[in-house]
Amino acid sequence: MGRFDMAPRTDLLQGSLDLLILKTLDLEALHGWAISKKIHLLSRDALEVNQGSLYPALYRLRDRGLVDAKLGESEEGRPIKVYRLTAKGRKALERERESWRRFAKAVEAVLAAT
Amino acid sequence: MRGAWTWIGRRVAVLLKKSTVERELDEEVRFHLEMEIREGVRSGLSETEARRRAMIAFGGVERFKEEVRDARGGRLLDDLRQDLRIGVRTLVKERTFTLAAVLTLAIGIGGNVALYAVLDASAFAALPWAEPDRLLTGRSTFDDGARLGPVLSAFDFYDYRDEARSFESAGALAPFPQRMTLEAGDTPERVDVVMVIPGFFATLGVPPLAGRSFVAEEGEPGGGRSMVLSEGYWTRRFGRDPEVIGRTLTLNGMVFTVVGILPAHARFMVDAELWIPAVRGRGMASGRSSHNFLMVARLAEGITTATAQQELDGISARLAGAYPDTNAGKGIVVTPTREMLLESYWSTLALLGGAVVLLLLVACANVAALLLARGRARVAEMAVRGALGAGRPRLVRQLLVENGLLAAVAGGVGLFVAVWAQRALLAFVSMDRLGTLTGGFSWSILGFAMGLSLLTVLLFGTGPAVRASRTDHAITLRGAGRGTTAGGSALLRRGLVVAQVALTTVLLSAAGLLTRSLRELTTYDLGFDQEGLLTAEFTLPSGAFSEAERAALIDGLDDRLRGLSGVTDLGWASQLPIRDPGNNWSVGRAGELHQAGGRNVNAHQRTVYPGYFEAMGIPLVSGRGFDATDADVEERLIILSRTTAEILFGSEPPEGRFVEIPEFGGGIRTHQVVGVVEDAVVDFMRDGRSPAMYYSYHQTTPSRMRVAVRYAGDPARVTEGVRSALREVAPSVPLDRVETMDAVLRRATADERALASLVGMFAAIALGLAGVGLFGVLAYHVTQREREIGIRIALGARASEVATSVLWSGWVLVGVGLAAGIPLAVMGRRLVEGFLFGVGGGDPLTLIGVAAFLAAVAAVASVLPARRAARINPAEVFRRE
Repeated sequence: MGRFDMAPRTDLLQGSLDLLILKTLDLEALHGWAISKKIHLLSRDALEVNQGSLYPALYRLRDRGLVDAKLGESEEGRPIKVYRLTAKGRKALERERESWRRFAKAVEAVLAAT
Repeated sequence: MRGAWTWIGRRVAVLLKKSTVERELDEEVRFHLEMEIREGVRSGLSETEARRRAMIAFGGVERFKEEVRDARGGRLLDDLRQDLRIGVRTLVKERTFTLAAVLTLAIGIGGNVALYAVLDASAFAALPWAEPDRLLTGRSTFDDGARLGPVLSAFDFYDYRDEARSFESAGALAPFPQRMTLEAGDTPERVDVVMVIPGFFATLGVPPLAGRSFVAEEGEPGGGRSMVLSEGYWTRRFGRDPEVIGRTLTLNGMVFTVVGILPAHARFMVDAELWIPAVRGRGMASGRSSHNFLMVARLAEGITTATAQQELDGISARLAGAYPDTNAGKGIVVTPTREMLLESYWSTLALLGGAVVLLLLVACANVAALLLARGRARVAEMAVRGALGAGRPRLVRQLLVENGLLAAVAGGVGLFVAVWAQRALLAFVSMDRLGTLTGGFSWSILGFAMGLSLLTVLLFGTGPAVRASRTDHAITLRGAGRGTTAGGSALLRRGLVVAQVALTTVLLSAAGLLTRSLRELTTYDLGFDQEGLLTAEFTLPSGAFSEAERAALIDGLDDRLRGLSGVTDLGWASQLPIRDPGNNWSVGRAGELHQAGGRNVNAHQRTVYPGYFEAMGIPLVSGRGFDATDADVEERLIILSRTTAEILFGSEPPEGRFVEIPEFGGGIRTHQVVGVVEDAVVDFMRDGRSPAMYYSYHQTTPSRMRVAVRYAGDPARVTEGVRSALREVAPSVPLDRVETMDAVLRRATADERALASLVGMFAAIALGLAGVGLFGVLAYHVTQREREIGIRIALGARASEVATSVLWSGWVLVGVGLAAGIPLAVMGRRLVEGFLFGVGGGDPLTLIGVAAFLAAVAAVASVLPARRAARINPAEVFRRE
């Protein structure tokens, strides 16, 4: 089980991971693996998405109606679920982006204090 | 709103489509892993190494799936499924516990469900009449409202009906069927006939199936020779032949015309095969002092019962002024019909209801104690599961699910108990007055059973569940947990036992009172000899036999029967004690009847044939009995029972003195006393040896006579003899209702027997449960205090002292329970009081008996724990520590 010792870290990650997924999907529709690769790429190899967190996040977002999934094709023509942003998801992305920026600025302000 | 539905829909979909979702997930995971591996190989790793790294990066696949499921909210239901699985496994594993809890609860629940079913079928039943809530019933009150009679007089009824504007319509019926002889073909037949005052069926709103019901003129002088058949009798006797309407039939020697057929729901309170109209001024409908009818009225639109009552009170006042002889102090009370129909067994239901609720509470206390004990036994299990990461809410939920399962099983078994209990209830609670009661079960009853079951288990199971989960796992696992929560839990368990004892005290005292009352009733000195008496009756209709013919016939029959072998003696009376209820009539000393300060009494009036008192074994106190020469005496003669004579004449010898008795149709008739007989039961058994007066058969010849034959040998042979003798002297007269006095007495006490045994059974079960509860607490008490007892024994305490101390702690619990229970029992005695005969509701002897009984049970329950305590070996205890 081990849910309890994991809890603090995942909570923090979850917020930002959701934002990252939404942002990634805002650019194009992708399947799960591609999302993780894309985040890795866009972060200039700084962020390694824990795959164990990716899918739960994707399912959660789908349940909240922020993304939806359709059966698409992989690069080699293999059937695979492809995720895309919904209108609701786009609005959520704006909101999340704003709050993340406020949060980042606040953290920066604290760290910059002398 | 839509959002909520989508949310629910998705969750349901998760549950239902679990396998599809899982398959999709599997597919995604496999794809992801493959891509990772391929990337690894591309960057120069061996395939094995690439796979290993991919798997590590992914984490445990199963855990991952779990988290996905968690994220999707299928988690709760999934856990529930797991909880159920564990629950079933636990309940099966702990068979003894499950069996004990389920049976205990099922008994408690079953009784309540049965009672609910009976209530459901009666109090809330749809009455079969049109707009039944507008129907009122009216009955007379006497002594300025102090006493409510069961009926009212026809003449009072006419006035209320004609003057009251609160009623749309009104009618009345005599709520007791009369057995009459109907000749409609070759063989005469005995039928149940009910008299109604026209307007009755129209008021109920029951239209005839065919023909018509009675019209107003048929209730007036000159009318009355029409009859209406019930659907049942019409079917049974005439095969639903519509041609029967207009035919003439002979009833008790008089010719009647069939005018209509009424459907089954025309039945009101009593069964009737046919109805005839009561005619103003004739028979039961004569005068204002002959109370035979129950008024049924339909309220006019917009009028309330209270308004109607007010109007009727005004009419009563006028009647009292106009007819002071008969109506002074008399009034009428109107009651909604539903209420009136229920009131006769309301008290029985209240008593039994109280009993089953008490029983359920005792059962609940036991189950709570069981759950507590089990909670303790499972502390270790809970500790392990807690340490492995199961959260506290999860543990509580697990316990609640187990309890829910328990409740469902107990509720199911409870239903079976209920089916049986309902049959027992219906068998003797005489509820046929409603005519709608069939028993059986409905969905609402099933719901009630399950709801009650769940409520009790959750109510009594939650405490132990929370308690068990609160345990500090680390302490328990280290083994130092013994007794850490013992203080609170032990106190709670003692509290439960005290509550059980208190509740059981209430039940036991009710059962004790009913049993004592039954004993009083069955050993009551009836004043006559009931052994070896055979009773029967027949009617010589006045239309077919003149008074002289009737007297001659009985004279002849008396001779003939005395000659039969097996007959040692016999007596004739208009009504036999207990078997046939009769009139209770006022009688006064000459010149003092109905006078202020005059010597009056209400006495049961019976007409008896010479030899009756000898045959019944009722001793003559003074004067003489009746004989055939009474026919030639001008003066009306009377014999008084001892109490009647004492009330009227004190210590003066009453022989030769005169008494006055109001006549049936009005006026007063004087009677001369010829003798006094010992008091005996004349009417209902519950009335005891009440005042009586006897007329001589040779002066007044009732058309229906009952015979009491004292026999030796086989009653069946004697019955055959009586039957053939009657056939010889009156071939057209059937012998009716043959039964021994023993059977009559058994029937008369059947309700009391059933009630006493049912409440007794409840009390016995409660007692058993309380005993088991006490045993549990004491056994636990000894286990907990093993060390202390060991030390005491090591320090030289004797085994008997140790055992006695256990016994005492049992008695202390019972004592506290009794102290709480006895006031409860005294408060609750009202429920029982109405059923008692010869015992008071606060009977101290019963309470003492209950206390002694409980003390004895406590002693029995203490035996094993006390013995265990006495046998504790200090060395062994300390070695184990």
